Amino acid sequence: MNIAVCVKQVIDTEAEKKLDPSSWRLDRNVNCILNPYDEYAVEEALRIKEAHGGQVVAVCMGPEKATDAVRKALAMGADTGVLVSDEALAGSDAQGTAYVLAEALKGLEWDLILFGVRSTDGETGCVPAAVAERLGIPLLSTLAKVEVEGSTLKVHRETEQGYVAYECPTPAVLSVIKGINEPRYPSMMGIMGAKKKPLEVKDAGALSLDKSRIGLDGAKTRVLSARIPEPRKAGVKVEDDGSGAQKIAEFLASEKLV
Amino acid sequence: MSNQSGILVVAEPKDGKLANVTLESITQARALTAAAGGPVSVVVAAAEAAPFVAAAGLFGADRVYVVETPEAAVFRSNVFIDAAMAAIEAAEPAMVLCSGSPDGRDVAAGCAARLDAGLLVDLTGLEAKDGRFIATHPCFGGTVIVEKEATGGVAVATVRPNVFAREETPKDPEVISLEVEFGAGSLLAKVLDVVCENVGIVSLEEASTVVAGGRGMGSAENFKLVQELADVLGAAVGASRSIVDEGWVSHQYQVGQTGKTVSPQLYIACGISGAIQHAAGMQTSKCIVAINKDPEAAIFNFADYGMVGDAVALVPALTEEIRKRKSAS
Ligand SMILES: Cc1cc2nc3c(=O)[nH]c(=O)nc-3n(C[C@H](O)[C@H](O)[C@H](O)COP(=O)(O)OP(=O)(O)OC[C@H]3O[C@@H](n4cnc5c(N)ncnc54)[C@H](O)[C@@H]3O)c2cc1C
Repeated sequence: MNIAVCVKQVIDTEAEKKLDPSSWRLDRNVNCILNPYDEYAVEEALRIKEAHGGQVVAVCMGPEKATDAVRKALAMGADTGVLVSDEALAGSDAQGTAYVLAEALKGLEWDLILFGVRSTDGETGCVPAAVAERLGIPLLSTLAKVEVEGSTLKVHRETEQGYVAYECPTPAVLSVIKGINEPRYPSMMGIMGAKKKPLEVKDAGALSLDKSRIGLDGAKTRVLSARIPEPRKAGVKVEDDGSGAQKIAEFLASEKLV
Repeated sequence: MSNQSGILVVAEPKDGKLANVTLESITQARALTAAAGGPVSVVVAAAEAAPFVAAAGLFGADRVYVVETPEAAVFRSNVFIDAAMAAIEAAEPAMVLCSGSPDGRDVAAGCAARLDAGLLVDLTGLEAKDGRFIATHPCFGGTVIVEKEATGGVAVATVRPNVFAREETPKDPEVISLEVEFGAGSLLAKVLDVVCENVGIVSLEEASTVVAGGRGMGSAENFKLVQELADVLGAAVGASRSIVDEGWVSHQYQVGQTGKTVSPQLYIACGISGAIQHAAGMQTSKCIVAINKDPEAAIFNFADYGMVGDAVALVPALTEEIRKRKSAS
């Protein structure tokens, strides 16, 4: 079973956010990491490969710097990497990203495509479904369990009350949630080895991308404004003197919250 | 140039009812179309649509498109995308609102890809201005707030639960039944089983009150105290990641960057330090109450009401206090 796992580089949650007021774009010259959800996708891909054989390719769209995210996937154990990187891609929205990833995936061999359920920065959670739609293959999202039997997938999709079990033939697009597995840390060997693994960088021309669909101009949405909200302020802080529970209840009642 | 008008809400059936976020979206759609014009339509895909159609009418839908088929008995992304697409073609709306849930995201993204339309996600605000729709959405865990609009004819959006009001305005909607030819690919995923482990659970993302516990509760055993407080408040239960990782509760309860995002009226954090990744999932709550024994805990930097003390003692005492007040009133 050959697997493509899509990965994204995101700004570390702990990094300070700075907005460029002319483009509304976020300053990415801060600490960036592999999207935490994608670690679960990479791990799941590796587990399927270890059980059933095949190759794992990590696919990423992003600036040159995003090579690090692909290398991390390689260090964890992915076999090859593809980074789609081009100035023309900057400013692409979720739709643009899905178009680019779908085009990149068309040129690769896979039976299964894995995603993390969402990114921790753009947070749209919409790219997996849009890629599935563009490739015309089934989508199974928000998965807490994936099992492979031959060319059949058996998966659990998390719901509020429990889960729904589905069966689906490959090829398919899957998105996975935290809790599906415990991602491995790349070993020293893995990190060294990752530097020698094939990582192909492709530009818009190499994928014959339609320029009207990519980048800021191709975006189907326009940012009108972006702002960093005032951080929430601290309210009252009270020391418990034995009547703490009554005081909280009084506060809740005064705010009409109970 | 475009003849698209009005708003189409893609209904999310949930436990035999319409999800609150669907009702909130219908209510908001009504307010917006009052100014911008056009009808409020709702599309319901279900095995038995009648109760959902009635609910849509109760909240003021002008038109309800019905895709009644056993294929839609349980959510399947591709089936629900096909159903929503059929209604979009019939209704020609200017805006499509889906729920900000896993199901709604799949449907919204699938439809937007097929329509090549602008996709706006996780809306916490939606305004109509000169015939355009302007959407507000928080990203980076609420640390950046973006205003966006779609550039094409029709926009597809997902709406965050609990941000718009729900208001009944009974109407007798026009009901239009749609026959949908599902593509072979749409029926490939088959439902094997629906497993309900937590029957009757208050939905974390839709709850107006959330009581969440963290490592400060001390043990899995003590976490029951959080559940009891939630029960007396009719609240949903949430958890920090550390205790999910400890195995006290399952991942479904996790609030934060790698869990759920909630915006309740009231969020009570019990023994939670308030790490940035936790805050990312709850800092848009209207009111935050924190109980933590460490006066320097980060949660006090953004809680509206902080109680410095032992959560293991305070949580059951608060449960008792609220029970007393409830029985007195
Ligand atoms: C990539 C990544 C993603 C993450 N995603 C999430 C996420 O989605 N959600 C999330 O929650 N975290 C997430 N985290 C983890 C986060 O950084 C914190 O580690 C976690 O939120 C801490 O949980 P906690 O507050 O329960 O535990 P702790 O940090 O251990 O805090 C326990 C708190 O309880 C207090 N306490 C102890 N005893 C008592 C008592 N008897 N009474 C009252 N108070 C007491 C302590 O003072 C302390 O403040 C993520 C981390 C990373 C790196």
